[in-house]
Amino acid sequence: MYGRILLVEDDPSIREVATLGLRAAGFEVATAPDGVAGLERFRADAPDLVLLDIMLPRLDGLDVCRAIRRESTTPIVMLTARGDTIDIVVGLEAGADDYVRKPFEMAELVARVRAALRRRGREGGGDLPARLELGPIAIDVAGRTVAREGREIPLTRTEFDLLVELAHRPGQVFGRDALLDRVWGYDYLGDSRLVDVAIGRLRAKVEADPAEPELILTVRGAGYKAVRPATLEA
Amino acid sequence: MGGIRTRLALAIVGLVAVTVLAIGVGTYVFVDARLRDGLLGDATRRAQFNLSILVPGVLPAGANASTFAATGLPAAFRLRGDVEEIVEFGDGKPYYSDADLSGALDALPAELKAVVSGGHLGYAWQTLAGRPGLIVAGRAASGPAIYFVFSADSIEAALAQLRLGLAVAALVALLLAIGTAGLVARGILLPVRSGSAAAARIAAGDLSARVLGGGTDEFARWAAEFNRMADSLESTVGRLAASESQNRRFVADVAHELRTPLTALVGEASLIEAGLDDLSPDARRAAELLVADIRRLRTLVEDLMELSRFDAHAEEAERRPVDLGRVVTAAVAARLPEAVASLPAEPVIVDSDVLRLDRIVGNLLDNARTHAPGSAVEVAVAHQGETVTITVADRGPGVAPEILEHLFDRFFKADPSRRSGSSGLGLAIAAEHAALLGGTLVARPRSGGGLELVLTLPVTRSLPDGDPGDTFGGEDASTRDATPATAHPRQPE
Repeated sequence: MYGRILLVEDDPSIREVATLGLRAAGFEVATAPDGVAGLERFRADAPDLVLLDIMLPRLDGLDVCRAIRRESTTPIVMLTARGDTIDIVVGLEAGADDYVRKPFEMAELVARVRAALRRRGREGGGDLPARLELGPIAIDVAGRTVAREGREIPLTRTEFDLLVELAHRPGQVFGRDALLDRVWGYDYLGDSRLVDVAIGRLRAKVEADPAEPELILTVRGAGYKAVRPATLEA
Repeated sequence: MGGIRTRLALAIVGLVAVTVLAIGVGTYVFVDARLRDGLLGDATRRAQFNLSILVPGVLPAGANASTFAATGLPAAFRLRGDVEEIVEFGDGKPYYSDADLSGALDALPAELKAVVSGGHLGYAWQTLAGRPGLIVAGRAASGPAIYFVFSADSIEAALAQLRLGLAVAALVALLLAIGTAGLVARGILLPVRSGSAAAARIAAGDLSARVLGGGTDEFARWAAEFNRMADSLESTVGRLAASESQNRRFVADVAHELRTPLTALVGEASLIEAGLDDLSPDARRAAELLVADIRRLRTLVEDLMELSRFDAHAEEAERRPVDLGRVVTAAVAARLPEAVASLPAEPVIVDSDVLRLDRIVGNLLDNARTHAPGSAVEVAVAHQGETVTITVADRGPGVAPEILEHLFDRFFKADPSRRSGSSGLGLAIAAEHAALLGGTLVARPRSGGGLELVLTLPVTRSLPDGDPGDTFGGEDASTRDATPATAHPRQPE
């Protein structure tokens, strides 16, 4: 499973060494040194995944992230140099799927890139049915599309996988760690904010009123669950 | 302070009392003298007139008590105002103008009688027949001695009124004095109280405390001195705090600036490590050392950044139910697989931050691995009442008792000569995390040799077993099947 990666990073050494490492792992890599060039490369190349530094000259990484999200669901993995934890949440809210903290070992970076590319459904869907329903939401698992009353809803891969994970076992509570493992591929102590922010983004797209969710419910102290069909009808 | 206030109030009341008494007595004496002088002058003039003008022309020689009234003199005496008279004819039968005065002649002072019999005018203040009076007496030429008795009732009445007035005024003044003395004493001592309160606040660490009050009195000068001292203290402490904060900010900035080149270094080390086999033996050894040193540098910079976030108070605990047994098992598996974990039969679940707990336990394990290499390490979770403990115990060389407390100092190394892979910040970081979670981290010697590091956490939440959906990981039966690594491995105890 290889893919084409766009790396947007202003530091030449990091850019070069990351390119070497990713190529050694079998990926095709294109690079850009700033936000504006990054956005241009993204539109020209349509890569499979974007590795995006947050602090970039000309156009901030968060703005690049929002611009990409307006036109694409391509996975975005942030490279965050700031210790400030707020940045991570802001980046995730801007639409990033995951993040890697600097400094990173090459193995960590490659693992995150692979996890972001390896998504449920891409390799045939495994034990999942071809179609799922959650209230008014119709999920075409094999085709990776989601529609509400015939109108397609654009979901990122992370959002789609999260929705499928919850919707294929309605009523079952999924803890944040279980979702981090199954959707993001963190088998040990991932950042639970990844889940919380992604749930928020997913609700904004599929719920009629994201402030009063009826499809994807929070279970206090435990995690999240998709509503059971019986509950919806009642 | 209460003592000073009471003494001050008593002094004020005493002073007012003495002043009121002096004014009262002075007024009374003065008024008394003026009233008596007035009456005496009037009485003397009338007596002289009577004796020298009226009596000589009217009184026949040989008159006696029975004929005196007929002379018309008593009526003439009264023409100019109320007066009674006693006339002594020398025959032992004196004339009394009023029956009430009968026999009063004997009560008159002998000195007066002597003066009168000597032909002079005399007077005496004397109560006669129960009424205060002024007696002015003299004799007309070769005539009888006449004692004019003037009533002093009006004087006595006026003086009685004056006494009453003065007493009431004194009483009111004293009451007012008592009332105001307390307030005045309080007012005078207010700056002292304010100063005392300000000093107490400064002692408690509030360096912005100042004494209020303007003016130019001694208290104001004292307050100004106090405030100058407080200003100086505050600015000195402020400078120290600012410089410390600058230092910490500098450390944070340095660590931050190091991150970008360090990211490149770490990535490059990863690539070099992957290509070690292609290097000549000497280059390979150098490359291995390089890779290891870059890892140490990375640990140091990341630890510094982590501490900087604590110093900047940027850290917050994210609490969820956490199964301590799972934290310990996972940390042991990741950091020191040869360590032996002993867990209680029942899962110990607390409301805490799983990432921080992992960091604490991981750092304790790293410490054991670094400072007690090769020794048996035991990790135990225990639940006692309202607290839970996680103990990491090794059989290494241990730590001398006098430096146990420094174990959590930054960059503290028990044996400075020993080179180790640790940054010297691991236990300091663990202690910061423990404090943030409301817990404590202590080091103590282990009986039988070695060191014991004990993390104690409050139990803020304890759930019954059999509610697996509500624990850290939140896995249920189906996800548990899918992720067997998250089950509860048990070590025999």
